[in-house]
Amino acid sequence: MPGFDFSNYNRNAALHARGVPLPKATSTGTTIVGCIYDNGVVIAADTRATSGPIVADKNCEKLHYIAPKIWCAGAGTAADTEFTTALISSNVELHSLSTGRDPRVITCMTMLKQHLFRYQGHIGAYLVVAGVDPTGVGLYTVHAHGSTDKLPYVTMGSGSLAAMSVFESMWQPDLNKEGAIALCSEAIKAGIFNDLGSGSNVDVCVIEKDKPTQLLRNYEKPNERGEKERNYRFPRGTTAWLNQKVISKEDMKKYVTIETLSGDDNLAAGEKMEVDV
Amino acid sequence: MAINFKDGVILGADSRTTTGAYIANRVTDKLTQVHDTIWCCRSGSAADTQAVADIVSYHLNMYGVVNNEAPSTQVAASLFQELCYENKDALSAGIIIAGYDPRHGGQVYSIPLGGSLHKQSFAIGGSGSTYIYGYTDAHWKENMTEEEGINFVRSSLQEAIKWDGSSGGVIRMVVLTKKGAVRHLYLPDTNYTGPGVTN
Amino acid sequence: MGSPFDINGGACVAMVGKDCVAIACDLRLGMQALTISNNFPKIFNYAPSTYLGLTGLATDVNTVSDLFRYKVNMYRLREERHISPRPWPTCPVLAGINQTTGKPFICGFDSIGCIDFAKDFIVSGTASDQLFGTCEGLWEPDLGPEDLFETISQALLSAVDRDALSGWGAQVYIIEKDKVTQRLLKGRQD
Repeated sequence: MPGFDFSNYNRNAALHARGVPLPKATSTGTTIVGCIYDNGVVIAADTRATSGPIVADKNCEKLHYIAPKIWCAGAGTAADTEFTTALISSNVELHSLSTGRDPRVITCMTMLKQHLFRYQGHIGAYLVVAGVDPTGVGLYTVHAHGSTDKLPYVTMGSGSLAAMSVFESMWQPDLNKEGAIALCSEAIKAGIFNDLGSGSNVDVCVIEKDKPTQLLRNYEKPNERGEKERNYRFPRGTTAWLNQKVISKEDMKKYVTIETLSGDDNLAAGEKMEVDV
Repeated sequence: MAINFKDGVILGADSRTTTGAYIANRVTDKLTQVHDTIWCCRSGSAADTQAVADIVSYHLNMYGVVNNEAPSTQVAASLFQELCYENKDALSAGIIIAGYDPRHGGQVYSIPLGGSLHKQSFAIGGSGSTYIYGYTDAHWKENMTEEEGINFVRSSLQEAIKWDGSSGGVIRMVVLTKKGAVRHLYLPDTNYTGPGVTN
Repeated sequence: MGSPFDINGGACVAMVGKDCVAIACDLRLGMQALTISNNFPKIFNYAPSTYLGLTGLATDVNTVSDLFRYKVNMYRLREERHISPRPWPTCPVLAGINQTTGKPFICGFDSIGCIDFAKDFIVSGTASDQLFGTCEGLWEPDLGPEDLFETISQALLSAVDRDALSGWGAQVYIIEKDKVTQRLLKGRQD
């Protein structure tokens, strides 16, 4: 069974009671948004991950796969959004395999809210769930405590206020695909520039009826680092070292078996699975 | 809030959801269907009340299939009370249940924070309700017509929205009679005068 | 008592170069301000050209490195793994070269398992704030093995010199497709 291991819980609680501070988890002080349009739905996210005041990752991915036509944008505790969406993605796939039907957005949203409600907010996942299914277009927000909202345009994370100000002033009921992408991108940029917890690039995911889902990674890069005019490369021999050991492939063969494979791309993707017929 | 009137019940609510001072949703639907003509008004924690309503909805629909007869409003209210009372330490949920069934007609039940159950001729709840206790008591009449009922609910909610910072947005209503459920919507743009029936 | 991450001290960094990666760590093991050992490497080898650096609470560095060795061994026996996100107070740094594609790869994790796939560098430990600064300034793309060695070494040495809980020498691995060079750096002993 997938789930959580509480074997360190008592130790950590005892430590905490003696004044030990909680470890710093990577949190996505984030801007995430979503918006439906005539024929589908767009979600978007910034790409900054923070740990306290430190930018831990300048180009992380906050758009998570659930099913081919259902995607999630995540804010809150990064590990929680990652593992919660992965868990629900697995269960959604098993569910659609057992029913023989395409998964629905509302099913996915219900599974997420029931999972998060069970953990009473201790799983810090704040999600925007979006997708297209046989019943139509779906767009929901799911909060860590398990409450959900259904709206034509949504924002979440620390940059949600900045992003919502864009939606509230520029959203129209009859958006087309290009308009929805532009609006979401603009909302994320409002978060990137006006919210300290959000930054770097804009990721966009477009889910449309009867079309393959498009993940537009780094759709906009409004914060490219300027080219360095000179470099800090050190002359070789700068660093003093006391001794070195060179481990060659020949040496490695003493301890493990090494097989050299051809440069075939198929092999790189992973070894072929054996299938019983 | 929910009220009894001549032909059934009327549920009404504002549409504001807040996280702290931020309005997370300005067009929330706080009127939730748990069976054909049994609905509830949710107040308190959104997560808790949604979870409770989902569970009750499941049980009532199961009841309907197993007994080949729609559950009564009292059954629904008892289910809500069971969940709210047994889990009172973990929940912050104030729920008003209103329904119409052919045997008992329209009924209104209220379940405040501790999980007690009160059958009332009309019920108000949520943060904005404190502002309209006087108003509703002064204007309440038994056996109003549908039009009088709608006006009573609308004017009461309008007062709550005016005085309470945590209430606002649109006014949603559901009218439950032997004819079924009819939704109404009243927008602030027109000083809550319309558009009225929306389904 | 301080945070479990700050009791023993330590620093670790990994960098990507052209057809190579480097991973480096300091050698200090302390108890608060008292240095217990100046020979406590924090980088562990699990497969040809796959290295894992662990910083944080030393007992958990040992536990995780042993557990991971066990898991890697079991992985060879049955191709099925069981994911259990455990809040061990360690922040792993992984560096290696994919043996089939020859592509360099590094990634880091926070203590509850959130992965940071970076195409430049990963830092961890009590000197992580300093390492972020030195790496952001010194790293550049497509450094060859020898240049990468100088860059990662200077980045690490400069960072640990400004961290009281890290230092006392350092170890660097430069990983190429069919060769790994391990070097012991001369560092301040204070």
